[in-house]
Amino acid sequence: MDNKEIVLLKKALDRQKRARAQAERILEEKSKELYDVSYHLRESNARLENLLTETKSELDGVFMNIVDPYVVMDLQFNIIKMNPSAKDFLGYDCEKETVNLSTLVHPDYYAYTAESIQSLFEVGVLKNYQAMIVLKDRVEKYVQINSSLVYDKNRKPIAAQGIIRDITHETEIKHLLADQKKELDIIVENSPLGIVLTVDNKIVKSNGTFVKLVGYSKSELRTMYIDHFSSPEDAEKSKELIKQMDAGELDQYSIVKKYIRKDGSILWAKSFVNAFKNVQGKLEYQVAMIEDISNERELELEKEDLLAELEESNKGLQEYAHIVSHDLKSPLRSISALATWLYEDYKDVLDENGVTQLSLMQEKVEAMDKLIVGILKYSTVSSDAVENTMVDVNMVIKEITDIIYIPDHVEVKIVKQLPVIFADKTKVHQVFQNFMSNAVVHIENKVGLVHIDYEETNTHWQFSIEDNGVGIPKEYHEKIFKIFQSIGNKAGSTGIGLSIVKKIIDLYEGEVWLESTPGEGTTFYFTIKK
Amino acid sequence: MNILFVEDDNIETMKLQRTVSKLQTKHNITEAKNGEEALDFLKSDSDLPDIILLDLNMPRMSGIEFLKILKADEVMKYLPTIILTTSENRADLLECYKVGIAGYILKPLKYEDYEMKIRAVFEYWEANELVKA
Repeated sequence: MDNKEIVLLKKALDRQKRARAQAERILEEKSKELYDVSYHLRESNARLENLLTETKSELDGVFMNIVDPYVVMDLQFNIIKMNPSAKDFLGYDCEKETVNLSTLVHPDYYAYTAESIQSLFEVGVLKNYQAMIVLKDRVEKYVQINSSLVYDKNRKPIAAQGIIRDITHETEIKHLLADQKKELDIIVENSPLGIVLTVDNKIVKSNGTFVKLVGYSKSELRTMYIDHFSSPEDAEKSKELIKQMDAGELDQYSIVKKYIRKDGSILWAKSFVNAFKNVQGKLEYQVAMIEDISNERELELEKEDLLAELEESNKGLQEYAHIVSHDLKSPLRSISALATWLYEDYKDVLDENGVTQLSLMQEKVEAMDKLIVGILKYSTVSSDAVENTMVDVNMVIKEITDIIYIPDHVEVKIVKQLPVIFADKTKVHQVFQNFMSNAVVHIENKVGLVHIDYEETNTHWQFSIEDNGVGIPKEYHEKIFKIFQSIGNKAGSTGIGLSIVKKIIDLYEGEVWLESTPGEGTTFYFTIKK
Repeated sequence: MNILFVEDDNIETMKLQRTVSKLQTKHNITEAKNGEEALDFLKSDSDLPDIILLDLNMPRMSGIEFLKILKADEVMKYLPTIILTTSENRADLLECYKVGIAGYILKPLKYEDYEMKIRAVFEYWEANELVKA
């Protein structure tokens, strides 16, 4: 081998040595790294194990300290584990006895419970199961249970866990409220008034009566506004009131108006509307109570019609009385003028007898004129004020005996001084004149007697006019006070007289009646309230 | 004075004529039996009267109907119209004053009272300044 060759070999050997050293160094480094890593891993593992233990104990703590009863059950609902709260609440302890949650369910809830369990197995979760259970001490409790299934690593259900909440108090309140609501609903639904609750005039609630009144169903009503029912002529007024209530100017109002029913017919109703405000004073609800007044309305209209008719007929009657009195008065004026002229133009040729007769004629004309005026006044008595004054009945009798025809054989006698009464003179005059005229003309006895007398009671004056005339048969005693029922056959008997008398006596809250024996005489009695 | 006397009753006319004849002043009385006759006269060429004496209850056209026509006329509405009636009906009285009248005289029962009232009316209107158509 030459030198050159040796040098080359040495160099190659050298390179190999260096490469091995480098590899050894790398290996050393790597194994150190590996050692470090495994060390770290060991450390982490220890930490993780710690962490897991901690978490588990924490969970245990949560489980034990959970406020609501919490149970873990096998799939037959035998409790495997329960927290103190559950032991407390249920009264059972699964460590001392077998407790099956499903056996605690109240019989009323069996069906519902079966359904719920099925749903739990299907879905894996059961939320808001509510039922009554019977505790160990036989106390019944309402509970709400939220439950879920527990699975193994193969997703196979192995248990169920549940959290129980005692909702007895809540449920009782709920039931109480429901009862009260039911009672209230019964009252509202059976009210004779239609009742509507509105918010911003939109109907939110209405009762059955209102449904019947307007003919819309409850669901239809819930989409409607209260002003929907107003008829066009009431709309303005109604709107104004609603506006005032919305503005807070009005807390309540009532209005009588027409409601338009679904079928277009009209309902007359009176509505009472009340505003309910919240604590801030803002309008929250309006309650309207609607009373059907169709019947009253109809009666009222009927009454109005009748009154108008009556008024019309009264007016007509008065008009008639005025015309008749004019027609009677005009000829009297003519007779009076003619008698006056007879005297004026012929007084030179008239003897004393003629003058007397003319003046008698004037007197009779005057008496008749007064009577006409009196009758006119009576016929308008409903419109005229009754002119009550102190009337001396003795004077009235005197005036009457002056104007009526009294046959020579008849004597009119006042038995005792008659009273002064407070009444309308014309009417008192009319009453007595009627009785006295009747009395004097129906006497056929040789000596006719008409006795006028009175008695005083606490409340009334009772007058009597007694005659010894022909008498009135019993069957006519009622009839003669009815208008146009004349029983006399004397000429000039109109049959109006006693009916007018009856009307006047009615006006003074008095009565009129008679006693009579045919052939012996008649006594008329009448009373006038003091 | 020129007087238009609207009255359907003969004796009433006699009463007025007799009363007026006793007065010292001369008066010219035109008689009309009812409202229609009176209107015919007023629409004719004759001079308009100074006053009108008007009865209310008349056949065909009543006093109030006549009065309403009168008061609706631009010229005739100035004619003083005095009602002479037996009607004590307050409704009549109010209606007349509403339409427009210069007086409302009730015919009294006695002729002497009538004369007294008519004399007073005439004296009053004689003392008045009249429109003189």
